[in-house]
Amino acid sequence: MDNVIFIISALLTVTGALCVLLTKNVMHACVYLLTCLLGVAGLYVTLGADFVAATQLAVYVGGVVILMVFAVMLTGGPTSQSSNKFGIVKVPMMGNAKTYIIGIISAVIFALMAYKVLSRIIISIQAGELPAFTETVEKIGFMLVTDHVLAFEISSVLLLGALVGAAIIARPRRGV
Amino acid sequence: MNNTIVSYLSQFESYKGLLESFSSMFGEAGPGLLTFLVFLIGCILVVTVLATIGGLGTYAERKISADMQARMGPNRVGPYGLLQFLADGVKMFLKEDLIPNKADKFIFGLAPLLALVGVFGTLAVLPFSSGFTLANLNVGVFYLIGIGSLVGVAIFLGGYASNSKWSMLGGMRGASQIISYEIPVVLSLMAIVLMSGSLNFGGLVGAQGGLPQEWFIFHNPFTFIGFFVFFIGALAETNRAPFDLPEAESELVSGYHTEYSGMRFAFFALAEYIEVFVVCGVGAAAFLGGYNVPLNLGGEGILGQVLQILVFFGKTLALYYLVIMIRWTYPRLRVDQLMTLCWKYLTPMAIFNLIGCALWIYLLDGKSVWDMLAAFVGSMGTGGGH
Amino acid sequence: MMTLTSYLMISTFLFLCGLTAVIARKNLIAVLLGIELILNASALNFVAYTRFVNNNLDGHIFPLFIIIVAAAEAAVGLAIVIRFFQIRESIHIDDATQLQS
Repeated sequence: MDNVIFIISALLTVTGALCVLLTKNVMHACVYLLTCLLGVAGLYVTLGADFVAATQLAVYVGGVVILMVFAVMLTGGPTSQSSNKFGIVKVPMMGNAKTYIIGIISAVIFALMAYKVLSRIIISIQAGELPAFTETVEKIGFMLVTDHVLAFEISSVLLLGALVGAAIIARPRRGV
Repeated sequence: MNNTIVSYLSQFESYKGLLESFSSMFGEAGPGLLTFLVFLIGCILVVTVLATIGGLGTYAERKISADMQARMGPNRVGPYGLLQFLADGVKMFLKEDLIPNKADKFIFGLAPLLALVGVFGTLAVLPFSSGFTLANLNVGVFYLIGIGSLVGVAIFLGGYASNSKWSMLGGMRGASQIISYEIPVVLSLMAIVLMSGSLNFGGLVGAQGGLPQEWFIFHNPFTFIGFFVFFIGALAETNRAPFDLPEAESELVSGYHTEYSGMRFAFFALAEYIEVFVVCGVGAAAFLGGYNVPLNLGGEGILGQVLQILVFFGKTLALYYLVIMIRWTYPRLRVDQLMTLCWKYLTPMAIFNLIGCALWIYLLDGKSVWDMLAAFVGSMGTGGGH
Repeated sequence: MMTLTSYLMISTFLFLCGLTAVIARKNLIAVLLGIELILNASALNFVAYTRFVNNNLDGHIFPLFIIIVAAAEAAVGLAIVIRFFQIRESIHIDDATQLQS
């Protein structure tokens, strides 16, 4: 049963990520990102992290994806023009073959580098017995205000700063 | 405490017999298969009942509005016109499935499904009774908030994909309204979570009692205000009048579903009506005592469960009636008034309630007003004696 | 099926997709989408390691902070994108040349 959930979530994640990478339409990329994030939430559930999965759903689905879609709309929609306002022809918005080749090459180089560094560690890890995580909510709540209270407070300040900063930056000003 | 419907059923002898027969038939996979079957049947039951309630919601809406305006309302199909929603459904099936020429076909087809998925996903944690809750998740409230916000994405995408100005405006209004009003709704729910000390709906309902003075709405002044903040926010979040700006008929033709026809339109309408039921159910569970039957009549047995389900549905449908009545009573707000109401009034009130509830728990040990009143009257009585 | 390696492979794939998207895209919002993928990959790694290697719940705290940071980053980043669009009427990444001397 767990395997079925795992396979479905993994497929959602992988195909979502691949489609975010390959689609030519920003709006579609946002929708694929949504499926990818739902898949990651499913993976969290298979790992027994129910609170993290619920946070992923609440923050990403309700917040980040809607923000992204809003930003796409407020910046003129997904139609990609191939020249800027001075008439200079430039690389298309969603990339062309050249940029993709550069991106894939750098990704492969990075993957090889990471593999070279991490291969020793990955192989030596035994797939240990699965501890049963039940009632993670209480423990996480307890840990947030004891061990990790500094990070908790810093993140609250960070969110306040982000709120004020975003409001000030995006505020329409006269005489731009 | 029953975590799922399976753990409730497993205390009966007949279920254990069924489990043994499944184990002998399928070997190792037997218990898993039986669990899967129970969940499947439960899900089908809940979805069918809720879809019927959503359909009857359209009928109730017309009938109540007709009642308020001294009209007859639908009365031709079936007794009292009860089968009107079936006739509407058949009509929707037979309509042509139109897709606008310049529409974004992928998103156009996806949006109604996303709305339905978001709404049906919330049904998994809705507490119908102490046994018949599909999954009493540890993070039930949080999960409901998260999966429910898929509807906002769906409304926005539906408005965008139609490639029509009315739809676009309706979708943008809908999304901004939903993400704005989520804040007071979640904050006033958090106050209740603080009072009960639990994030799952079982604990939330279990912390209350059957009689009105044991409900959270009458627990202290802050929760009393919190209920109305929650209710107004929930009205706005489900796009009901007086906050139905995304589908304002007089300004935008029909808002985000202007270009939708046939079954896709029916999906949007069904999602909206079921979502109203869900938020009414959450309000009933969090503030109005949920499935608690007065005088401890509900219990673990079959009869007690039926009573609990009846009580839950009674409270929820009473709220549903209130929602429909409000729709046909009040005029629609303007967009700026909508945002002013959310950010300048409801959100500060919700934060005030949250802090007030926290202080109430810290200073007064979380006793309700009635407890303190009873203690005060008792001390007066004994004090008078001496 | 559900081993540590499979989770790590999924998260590596997510990370590489995100990295390629960040490099290959010329649209500011698409770049932000790639960054979201990278953040998700790292969060998935934390949860997988805490499940399979050590038994404490510290690995559940890190994803929460990563999600918080991602939300803040999305809010500020998109505000900057919208402001940039108001000034330059474009969200092409090559048009962001105002800080050049």
